[in-house]
Amino acid sequence: MLQGQGSVLGSRAERLAAARAALSSVEARVGTTRQAGERPRLPLDDLLSGLLPEGLTRGSVISVDGSTSLMLALAATASREGSWTAVLGMPAVGVVAAARRGLDLARLVLVPHPGTQIVEAAGAAVDGMDITLVGARTALSEADRRRLASRARERGSVILAAGPWAGAHTTMTVERSAWRGLGAGEGRLRERDLSVAVAGRRSGAVRRMRLTLDADLTGMRAAATRVTEEVA
Amino acid sequence: MSAPAHARGGPATATRRAVLWVPDWPVAAAARAAGMGADAPAAVLHGRGMVAVSAAARAAGVRRGHGKRQAQRACPELVILPYDEGRDAREFEAVAAAAEEVVAGVEISRPGLLMVPAEGAARFHGSEEALAEALVGAVAEVSGHECAVGAADGLLAAIMAARSSVLVPAGRSAEFLADAPVEALSLAAMERRQREGVEDLVSVLTRLGITTLAQFTALPAGDVLARFGPVGRWAHRIGRGEDVRPPVLRRSEDDIEVAYEFEEPAERIEQLTLVAAESSRRLDEALLAAGVRCSRVRIAARTERGDTLERVWRTDVGSRAGAFSRHMADRVRWQLEGWLSGTANGPEPAPLTSLSLTAQDVIALGDEQAFLWGGVSGADSRAQRTVERMQSLLGPDAVLAVREQGGRSPRDRVLAAPWGQEVTPARKVDHPWPGRIPDPAPATVLPLPEPLQVLDAGGSPVIVDRRLALSAPPTWVRLQADPGKARAAAARRHPAAGHVGDEPTWEAAEPIEAWAGPWPIAERWWSAEASRRAYLQVALRRAEGGPALLAAFSGGQWWLEAIYD
Repeated sequence: MLQGQGSVLGSRAERLAAARAALSSVEARVGTTRQAGERPRLPLDDLLSGLLPEGLTRGSVISVDGSTSLMLALAATASREGSWTAVLGMPAVGVVAAARRGLDLARLVLVPHPGTQIVEAAGAAVDGMDITLVGARTALSEADRRRLASRARERGSVILAAGPWAGAHTTMTVERSAWRGLGAGEGRLRERDLSVAVAGRRSGAVRRMRLTLDADLTGMRAAATRVTEEVA
Repeated sequence: MSAPAHARGGPATATRRAVLWVPDWPVAAAARAAGMGADAPAAVLHGRGMVAVSAAARAAGVRRGHGKRQAQRACPELVILPYDEGRDAREFEAVAAAAEEVVAGVEISRPGLLMVPAEGAARFHGSEEALAEALVGAVAEVSGHECAVGAADGLLAAIMAARSSVLVPAGRSAEFLADAPVEALSLAAMERRQREGVEDLVSVLTRLGITTLAQFTALPAGDVLARFGPVGRWAHRIGRGEDVRPPVLRRSEDDIEVAYEFEEPAERIEQLTLVAAESSRRLDEALLAAGVRCSRVRIAARTERGDTLERVWRTDVGSRAGAFSRHMADRVRWQLEGWLSGTANGPEPAPLTSLSLTAQDVIALGDEQAFLWGGVSGADSRAQRTVERMQSLLGPDAVLAVREQGGRSPRDRVLAAPWGQEVTPARKVDHPWPGRIPDPAPATVLPLPEPLQVLDAGGSPVIVDRRLALSAPPTWVRLQADPGKARAAAARRHPAAGHVGDEPTWEAAEPIEAWAGPWPIAERWWSAEASRRAYLQVALRRAEGGPALLAAFSGGQWWLEAIYD
């Protein structure tokens, strides 16, 4: 016994390793692990993995400025695979669009007009839901937002906020969106390119990404056949 | 093809059963509801053809499938009755109740057709003949309808036996069925869609030269499945006199219901809160006493004016001890508050005179499954509690569950209801909805459309005329100014800018990059909620690309319906 203790105390490297292991086990137990890589994640569409290379990390706040579709797309895969989603203060969210993006409407809770009770309602949603979407025009003060963010970190839920959110882990700003498919009176909306600027709280530089939402496969197929016809 | 000693696929899995059949049930039920005698010539019309014809009318030459004119030509004194599935089912309850005086546990296959497990009942009554006699007697005496009873092994044979009032000896069903035409298969189909599938199958078989069931069942089962799919396999088994599923017996049990009569009409919330808690507690006790749980509760109340208010709420609390009565008490209170304050759509608010809670979808304790949310996981019950918490914070109507429903415009395609309340979509999703705004669906759908200006190159409004032509190509769009930026917009609110009085303030005109339309939609022109609109998809040209808009022209004005953002 004494000898064993002595051997542990003997090597400095071993003591350091033992201390680190003890610390990490405590961290894992109380859920305050600092390494981003070790945090559990919610599933994310492959198309969007470029925007969030580290994934949809539980406990993070993502602010999305300029596109409701992008917010829905971020939540879609997780919702389809069993996560619950609450949408607060977004009376105009398109439910059909949400369903087409892949959100499961059976696990979608809408609170269109939380009014002055937004703080309590958002708190409840962050406690019990996996993803909470918060609209742009809500009566949340800066302090409320900070409290909500720390509550989300503690409960492991994700906040997707429309519009700016000070202290968000990731801020996505849609800088350019271009629709294709319309002409002068003919056609219909088919495809849309989004240019998104992604700024992380930790990563200093702003990354710019372009992605195609609503890629229209039937149109592409039609174009492909047109090309082959021309070749023939 | 002479009937060979074909492989019958081992011992047929068939239950001996007696079938009670009321001929021409829809017309018998309709005549009874209309107060007519059973011997009057009558027929039930659905769509363009007769679906059921009474014996007297048939004698005069009216047949199923005849149109109205043709039937009236054959029989001028014919009474034509409307079709109503609900009425058929309701009236048949009387027949089922009469049959239950003779046998315990019957299965209503469809209105007009009743199944009785024959073995035990026949033993009790002495013989199958005695059972059949007792059934016919009881039905005629109690409900006043004439019926026929037959018995055989297997579903189809029993139905055929009932139609000719014979008792097929045990084990002889296959022979009994052998010479029957393939058309008989559709008799065993219990619901309309299944019947359509079977009728298609029968028409193909007839064209292939297969006219009797013996010829059909002689075909190898594997080939039938390969050629005709599940319907073919089903028909093949039914045609051999087998059963596809065991009979499901009806248990005649009274609804579990708790009723409360107010001594004086109640209109104060405090009064109702107590009643809600008390009624929920009594319902919980009644359910426990019966050893069951329910997954839905119907809340019904009557007002002083005689209106009846009714709502169905889901209850997913399972058997959590004590939670049920609390959970229900909240819902009952919300519902009553809604009715009293008149916020819920319904008749005018009035004091309530009685309240009743009825348990629906009753299942025995322990049998319950988490069928609503799939498997119950920690996250699901946590989310459920969260929703309840938000409902108690904000009120029940503020927390919504949404579903898709049928419709053409993005707003019509959403059905929102307070979380936990049962609503049925007014319009089905799987109907075709021609003229629907094509996908992708807009991510922002304004709850109420906002006015919008669509201008041509010269700056005058674009209109859609009666022939659905645009007066000029749309070139500019002016959105309504954001009320939050009213001060910025106030600068433009100058007489010279064309703003007078309470007119909305407009943003600066923005150029249109591309557009498509107009797509006309004229809906429900026969009703008060008629609408005639022409839709336009517009992509804006902004420095940053800009979103696309969905605009609608209606009543001489453009409205912003949705934003593709």
